[in-house]
Amino acid sequence: MKEDRFSWKTIVLPLLVLVLTIALWQAIIQVSGLEPYILPGPRDVAQTMWQRGGSLLLYSLRTGMVAVSGFLISVVLGVGVSLMFSQSSIIRQSGYPYAIFFQTVPIVAVAPLVIAIFGYGVLSVIVVTTMISLFPIITATTTGLITVDQGLLDLFRVNKATRWQILWKLQFPGAIRYLLTGMKTSAGLAVVGAIVGEFFAGHSSGHQGLGYFILVSQNQINTSSLFAGTICSTLLGVVVFGTISLLGRLLLWRWAGEG
Amino acid sequence: MKRMLLTCLLLIAVVATGGCQGKDDTYHTGPRDNDPAARTDVKLALNWFPEAEHGGFYAAQLNGYFAEEGLNVQIIPGGPGSPVIQQVARGTIEFGVATADQIPLGRAQGANVVATMAAIDQSPRCFLVHEESGINSLEELQDVTLAMNSGRAFSEYLKKHVPLKNVRVVPYDGSIAAFLRDKKFAQQAYEFSEPFLAKQEGANVRVLPIRAIGYNPYASLLFTSDKFKNDHPELVAKMTRACRKGWQAYLSEPAKTNEHLQSLNPELTPGVLEFGVQAIVPLTTVDQEDFGQMKLDRWKKLVEQLVDVGLIDQDAVKPEDCFFEAS
Repeated sequence: MKEDRFSWKTIVLPLLVLVLTIALWQAIIQVSGLEPYILPGPRDVAQTMWQRGGSLLLYSLRTGMVAVSGFLISVVLGVGVSLMFSQSSIIRQSGYPYAIFFQTVPIVAVAPLVIAIFGYGVLSVIVVTTMISLFPIITATTTGLITVDQGLLDLFRVNKATRWQILWKLQFPGAIRYLLTGMKTSAGLAVVGAIVGEFFAGHSSGHQGLGYFILVSQNQINTSSLFAGTICSTLLGVVVFGTISLLGRLLLWRWAGEG
Repeated sequence: MKRMLLTCLLLIAVVATGGCQGKDDTYHTGPRDNDPAARTDVKLALNWFPEAEHGGFYAAQLNGYFAEEGLNVQIIPGGPGSPVIQQVARGTIEFGVATADQIPLGRAQGANVVATMAAIDQSPRCFLVHEESGINSLEELQDVTLAMNSGRAFSEYLKKHVPLKNVRVVPYDGSIAAFLRDKKFAQQAYEFSEPFLAKQEGANVRVLPIRAIGYNPYASLLFTSDKFKNDHPELVAKMTRACRKGWQAYLSEPAKTNEHLQSLNPELTPGVLEFGVQAIVPLTTVDQEDFGQMKLDRWKKLVEQLVDVGLIDQDAVKPEDCFFEAS
């Protein structure tokens, strides 16, 4: 399936949904009569975001840096592991169950271990982010690498291509599209990972990010701040996702000859 | 955006289920007899997993004090982040357990809740340090890594009133693992729990209560919403009476209740509840006539302290609205 081309619709349609969501949000408040400490109105949240704009931007930038770092590491690690998996079904079968570990491990349980090894602070948060965003890259890329057109593979073999040539010229270009799908899933998870990581290991003096802000808002029963923080993390996810999509188009165009 | 939409849908679902539970007209006051069908159903939400700080509420249930008052109380255990104040303020749940500072914080956000009884008079909130650190008081807290919940009233108070020279504040993850590893580590705790666990693991632990530097909110409070208190004063009085009796029973005869708590929360370290009760007794006024009652002066001071650390605005909350002596 070909991806939708970038056009005015790419911008306008989501904006339309945004307007509808805000209208729905306001309507829920009007109809349900929910108290602001349960569900604050869009106006209250916008006001909080405006008033705390400077610090929210700073927190978002810090969390964004950590999310992107963890994400990049998981791409490198994930592609590396997938390349290994693609070389032998024995390696793949022995290693795959352990790759699933990264998807299922409750991060709460391993956080103390991560902190014990990497200490409190940014490094531990990056490790947690990597753990959370690694799995989609591995499964998607591995699938891409082993899903090869049999005809093309025969052609390579008839021409006595080396294992390396088959990997580099046939399997890898074919896997790029899968890798990108995995990266898109991972991009969102990386932001979640960074925030969860900050809950446990981050926010040591001077390095506070959105996770810290969200936790403090929750502790202080300040629901509009909580919403403001959550919206910022969503926006951060959108920005990271958008960047990956753009890079993806570029990569596909250069490597796989499509755009 | 999808996530936001999902959040909205989820909230609608929550509201819908919450809405179905509204039952304002069902609070007829039940007779004092042993017919369970005739008792009034109420819910009590705890602020954490069942442990010693909730013992009195369970004792009231086990000893039948709720039933004596014509109440059928369902105790709902909490956990990290349970929105007890919000649920009680909304009326989804009739009663909750909290620490005193949560009451003014909630009221400042429009969650109008009111305390009716304080089981623990002196704050059990404390900080743990290793004896080897040479730190003897909170004022001397320096050159350590300190794990605590940022943004909470007690931690903001500590930051404002202690210089914390060369102290690196890190998140509190609920365990004492990091503390046990590092002699230059301090962490938040409750006097009835973590000191026991740390000692059991062989640490020479020193307990520094935060009340020593003037921050002393009541703990294990029973609270309800303003609306519920005004609509059903008799029921609030019955609940308060039963809980008070439960706490008196628990603090003198904890064995049976502890056994029950252990079955509800099987991961509790054996011995921690017995230790907990011994640690809680001196923090209460259980041997006095006015056990459980609160004083306006204490609430005034607490509200002033919360204003002072910037958690609530000046005049946002009236101390006299925060508590209520059910007669």
